[in-house]
Amino acid sequence: MKKEISDLLRTRAIAMAEEPVQNNDASMTVQLITFILAGENYGIESDYVLEVFPLKDFTPLPGVPTYILGVVNVRGQILPVVDLKKFFNLPEKGIGELNKVIILQNDQMEFGILTDIVEGTQTIDIREIKNKPPTISGIGEMYLKGVTKENLIVLNAGKLLSDKSIIVNH
Amino acid sequence: MFKNMKISLRLGLSFSIMIFLILVLIGIGLNSIRKIHNNMDEIVNVGNVRTQLANKMISDVREVSIALRSILLDKDVVYRNDQIKNIEKYRMSYDSCFRKYEELVKKDETTFLNLMEQSKILRDESRELNNIVVTKSNEGKFDEALNIMLTKARPKVANWIITVDELIKLENEKSISNFEKSNQLYSSVQNYMIILGCIAFLIAVVISFILSSSITRPLKIATDLVLSRDLNMDLSAYQHGGGELGSMIQAFSRDISEKKKLEKELIDYRDQLEETVKERTSELSNLIIEVRETVNVLAASSSQILAATTQVATGTAETAAAINETSTTVEEVQQASKQSSQKAQNVADSAQKVAQVFQNGQKAVEETSNGMAKIKEQMDSIAQTVVKLSEQSQSIGGIIASVSDIADQSNLLAVNAAIEAAKAGEQGKGFAVVAQEIKNLASQSKQATLKVRNILNDVQKATGAAVMATEQGSKAVESGLKQSLVAGEAIRILAESSNEAVQASTQIVASSQQQVVGMDQIGIAMQNISQAGTETAVSMAQAERSARSLYELGQKLKDLIGNFKE
Repeated sequence: MKKEISDLLRTRAIAMAEEPVQNNDASMTVQLITFILAGENYGIESDYVLEVFPLKDFTPLPGVPTYILGVVNVRGQILPVVDLKKFFNLPEKGIGELNKVIILQNDQMEFGILTDIVEGTQTIDIREIKNKPPTISGIGEMYLKGVTKENLIVLNAGKLLSDKSIIVNH
Repeated sequence: MFKNMKISLRLGLSFSIMIFLILVLIGIGLNSIRKIHNNMDEIVNVGNVRTQLANKMISDVREVSIALRSILLDKDVVYRNDQIKNIEKYRMSYDSCFRKYEELVKKDETTFLNLMEQSKILRDESRELNNIVVTKSNEGKFDEALNIMLTKARPKVANWIITVDELIKLENEKSISNFEKSNQLYSSVQNYMIILGCIAFLIAVVISFILSSSITRPLKIATDLVLSRDLNMDLSAYQHGGGELGSMIQAFSRDISEKKKLEKELIDYRDQLEETVKERTSELSNLIIEVRETVNVLAASSSQILAATTQVATGTAETAAAINETSTTVEEVQQASKQSSQKAQNVADSAQKVAQVFQNGQKAVEETSNGMAKIKEQMDSIAQTVVKLSEQSQSIGGIIASVSDIADQSNLLAVNAAIEAAKAGEQGKGFAVVAQEIKNLASQSKQATLKVRNILNDVQKATGAAVMATEQGSKAVESGLKQSLVAGEAIRILAESSNEAVQASTQIVASSQQQVVGMDQIGIAMQNISQAGTETAVSMAQAERSARSLYELGQKLKDLIGNFKE
């Protein structure tokens, strides 16, 4: 037990002591917020992410497409929430307390996307993203930036934010 | 009516009817033949003769005329005389023929009689004229004679011949009519005969059929009656009178009924005889059975007696021996009873010791049951403690849930911090590291809560098992308490019975001493018995001999009876 803990501490110390190699060229890296959606790993650029918060008390809206889950109140601001599983035609899973909402924002739009689990942040080399993804079930190619070799699907947040079909109120 | 006639009468009647029919036929035939014969006879014997006679008469007349002419023509006297003689001769022949004719004519033939009368008149007139002619010629008056002959005699003669000729014609007509009559008669007789013959044939057939049936039917009935011997047959038609067949059937039925009566009597006699024989046989067999049983009983009893006496004899001998053995045994028993009285004393001593031990045991059991009660109390308090433990572990679960929630939120906060740090750009890099550390901390605390939850689950399971175990333990303690009470009771009862055993052993000691005294008395008595047994053995040998002779007698009797078979 003691040995395990000391091993863990040592590896952690080694990892922290290492010079961050990837960061030597800041323009070639991108920071992603990673999350899980229907059992698959997704990533989205943190530049577009405003914040992450747990899904509580959302209000369903009548007369909107099924992928609009409803609206939530985030510190006095009313934002729509998009269910990407419905939007991408992924297999359904019930909505629970553990579901998190990632709020995306650019100068035009601001809305939340529903995720199963938010993993955390990850910084990757932009070259690692392969343009042509292998067959990924259901998701339209236009919303994808690519796939990393760890099978992380990187979404194109800019495209999502500028998509007209999501804009309902306008 | 026909049935009641006798057969001979029936036969006679039938044949007489037949004969009568035949006779009628013959009579009619004969009569007709006779009539035909008469007609024929008349035609042949009367008609023909009369015709011949008439023809002769005509020729005679013509001869006379010829002679008369010759007389007139020839003048020779001789010749004339000859002629006159010829005339006379022919006249005589004519008269004789005429007489014969008259004889043949019957009185009822009036036309014939009239014509004959007329011819007679004409004859007489002609002869007178002829005689005149002859006389005139004789006188030589030939012319006058010729004149008379030509004018008077010749027409008369011609009339005369015509008359006779009419007779012949009449005769012919009559013959023809007779022939026709007999022809008609013949054909009518033929028809009659055919019709009558047919009728007679039919009657004969009917009579023969009736006759045969009237004879054969009763015969058949009689045969059936005799063969079947059934008196229920319908014989009413033959019961009264009724000719030979009726009387035959009556006789048969009487005979059959009498035979039946006789048979019935015979059967009755036979049954009676059989019954009597059966009764006698059964009586006899009963008798034999009784005798046999008696003899068997006798033989068996004698053999039993023999066996018994033999057994008794051997028994007495054995008794004598046994008495000897008994007296030695009695001595041994005397010895043994002395020993047993000693032992009984020992037993009484040990029983008192046992009673002491039981009292100690009783005390120990009481202490045990007290200890069990204390154990029970302690078990109850343990159970309460375990229940409390279970409740507290549940509240720990609630605390763990809230800790897990806090870890989750910290994780989220870390992510947001990271985002903010990213937004801050180069300045936020240090903060990003801090956020990462917070995130790690959060995930570690999450893992720790998971581990704690697992441990808590185990603890809860263990406390559950402990609750169950304490319950079972308290139950076991309870049953132990009960059993210790039962054991106490059992030991108390044992103690009581050991007390009783002590008393009994004391009594046994007393009685065994009495036994020793009694055994001495038995020894003396046994010597007396031994003497008496020897005497009994001698007398039993005599009894056995007499029983053997009795047994032999019984066997002989049994053999004797065995010869009688049922």
